[in-house]
Amino acid sequence: MRVGLPRALLYHKYHVLWTTFLEECGFTTVVSPPTNRRILERGVALAVDESCLPMKVLLGHIESLSGRCDAVFVPRQEAFERGEHLCVKFMGAYDIVRNTIPDLRLVTYDVNADHGVDERRSMIAMARSLGVPARVARRAYVLAEAAQHAHEVELARLQQSVADSPRSGDVRILVVGHSYNLADELIGAPILGYLRTLGAEVVTSDEVDKALARRTGASMSPTMKWRYNKELLGSVELYRDMVDGIVFVVTFPCGPDSLMAELCARRVTGIPMTTLVLDELAGEAGTRTRLESFVDILRERRRRAHLTVVGA
Amino acid sequence: MSERLVTFPHMGEYWIAFETLVLELGATPLVPPRMTKHTLEVGARHSPEFVCVPFKYNLGNFIEALDAGASVIGQAGGGCRFGYYAEVQEAILRDLGYEFEMVNLTSSWSIGEFIADFKRIAPGVSTLRIARAFAIAYRKAKALEAIDDRVRKNVGFESEHGAHDRIVGRFHRELRAAGAFRDVARLEERTLAELAALPLDKPERPLRVGVVGELYVLMEPFANHSIERRLAEHGVEVHRFVTLTKLIEHGIRHRPHVRALLGEADPWVKYHLGADGTESVAMTWKLMQEGFDGMAHLKPFGCMPEVSAMSVLQRISREHTFPVLFVSYDAQTAETGIRTRIEAFADMLAMRVQGRTSA
Repeated sequence: MRVGLPRALLYHKYHVLWTTFLEECGFTTVVSPPTNRRILERGVALAVDESCLPMKVLLGHIESLSGRCDAVFVPRQEAFERGEHLCVKFMGAYDIVRNTIPDLRLVTYDVNADHGVDERRSMIAMARSLGVPARVARRAYVLAEAAQHAHEVELARLQQSVADSPRSGDVRILVVGHSYNLADELIGAPILGYLRTLGAEVVTSDEVDKALARRTGASMSPTMKWRYNKELLGSVELYRDMVDGIVFVVTFPCGPDSLMAELCARRVTGIPMTTLVLDELAGEAGTRTRLESFVDILRERRRRAHLTVVGA
Repeated sequence: MSERLVTFPHMGEYWIAFETLVLELGATPLVPPRMTKHTLEVGARHSPEFVCVPFKYNLGNFIEALDAGASVIGQAGGGCRFGYYAEVQEAILRDLGYEFEMVNLTSSWSIGEFIADFKRIAPGVSTLRIARAFAIAYRKAKALEAIDDRVRKNVGFESEHGAHDRIVGRFHRELRAAGAFRDVARLEERTLAELAALPLDKPERPLRVGVVGELYVLMEPFANHSIERRLAEHGVEVHRFVTLTKLIEHGIRHRPHVRALLGEADPWVKYHLGADGTESVAMTWKLMQEGFDGMAHLKPFGCMPEVSAMSVLQRISREHTFPVLFVSYDAQTAETGIRTRIEAFADMLAMRVQGRTSA
């Protein structure tokens, strides 16, 4: 059986866990291509108008898998830890897809720590329902979980080595955004790429030590309940002294992000920040101009700070 | 030290219950000024640009109440991003230079924290008194809802224009003054009897429309441009199921409630969509089967749980040719647009019925 994985939403975080698990269970995995214009256009056409951009991207990817696999993998995730939540689109993803593209066969698993539904049991149950022997599924999970863990540790280590390294002299920018936006070929990649073209050194919120970032985020904003926004908020605090400026990448009309950016603007002072709000109509020229002027501002600030130091 | 004046956000006529709650706790309430365009303008000016519109209304209420002298704000949480409002609103208000105390009620659904929150509103209040204050406020909310429900169903058919509003206006004044449970019960009973005695020109089988969606825009007529009343004026019996007391009951019994909803929303929804999303689907499916003529689905622009529900509602509507009016509200929503859409929707419902009976 071929299982299709849409390259969208949490795929960018959990692709190691998911592909390892499915392949160890004996399935063939098929991953949709990086987001392209066609995928986005189809997603926009399929989705409810007011859906957020990442949801539109997801629907485009799912449709692109239709006919290329026997079932599409769309997990449903509510909470990984008690009292902590993911954005509601992860709760609704499975049912949204099911009702938007009714004839597609889906496979899913549910994670909801508040109701005692955990990842391990759910993933194993999913595999069992597809005829995988319990022993094989259990072993697949152990291997998948270990591979995912190793992947995350490696990401955080890479990032730390960047943060610890002496600056290359030019500006260093922290780009804060959800992994599904930053890693997306059409949403985040052009921004990260363009900043690098401008000569800036880029650090992203995505490769931070997640558990540490969540703890830090929670202490900055005690009632923040979205797991990934805690990570983003924490990354701001953890990196603020190591970078010259912060770029928030927000997709329209993300409520949690808009509240979080507001709180950051009010609580984190002394560092230049800018917010890019992206939707399916966003033109690249406008974004580029804003990034250019932001980088110019950071360079100018550094030059002046340097002059002050030399002058003293 | 100046007096502690406790304020809260507006939502429909629930201010009567909130005011009672604060009074019975032994504190001094300050009812925020009635909602006007200014409330939304001032709220929107200081809010993040695309936060949902309830945030902006709440913030507007707080600013107007603080300007009027309030020193304590009670804000309530909810199932969605609403639960995070208080912290961000507090940061915004402090940056604006206001001095006040913010109490975030229902940040968790635990009785202990609930009591602790009430004690922050009224320091020194006994737990027994909290229980009584909550109970009488709750009873008043129930009375408001009972009257409201009756009006929604009948006001579109009154023979004498304004008759319902006259009775309801007096009911609100008397409910505000009512002190004992007994008085509230009697008042409710008497008002219902008065409403029942009003002459109606109501057909045997009137058009029936259910209103579902996000809780705040459902319950705040100022924010939804009195959509229920507009529908009623076109000869529609309007039904709504989300009320404040039901939200509280469902919050306390969250799990069984969600399980029941998922049963009702079957086969359309397998997992809970979050906040009121599953309920919107469950009620639409249920009312369609009960023979309702259509639904109105209301939400603030970008409200994710309701956007999720929409993908299901659109399918139900398509596959069963069942009319659903989708309305999104933001700070720019114009009254005229809403009126026109409702008129067209009501006409369409009437024509469908005619087509069915003449065929």
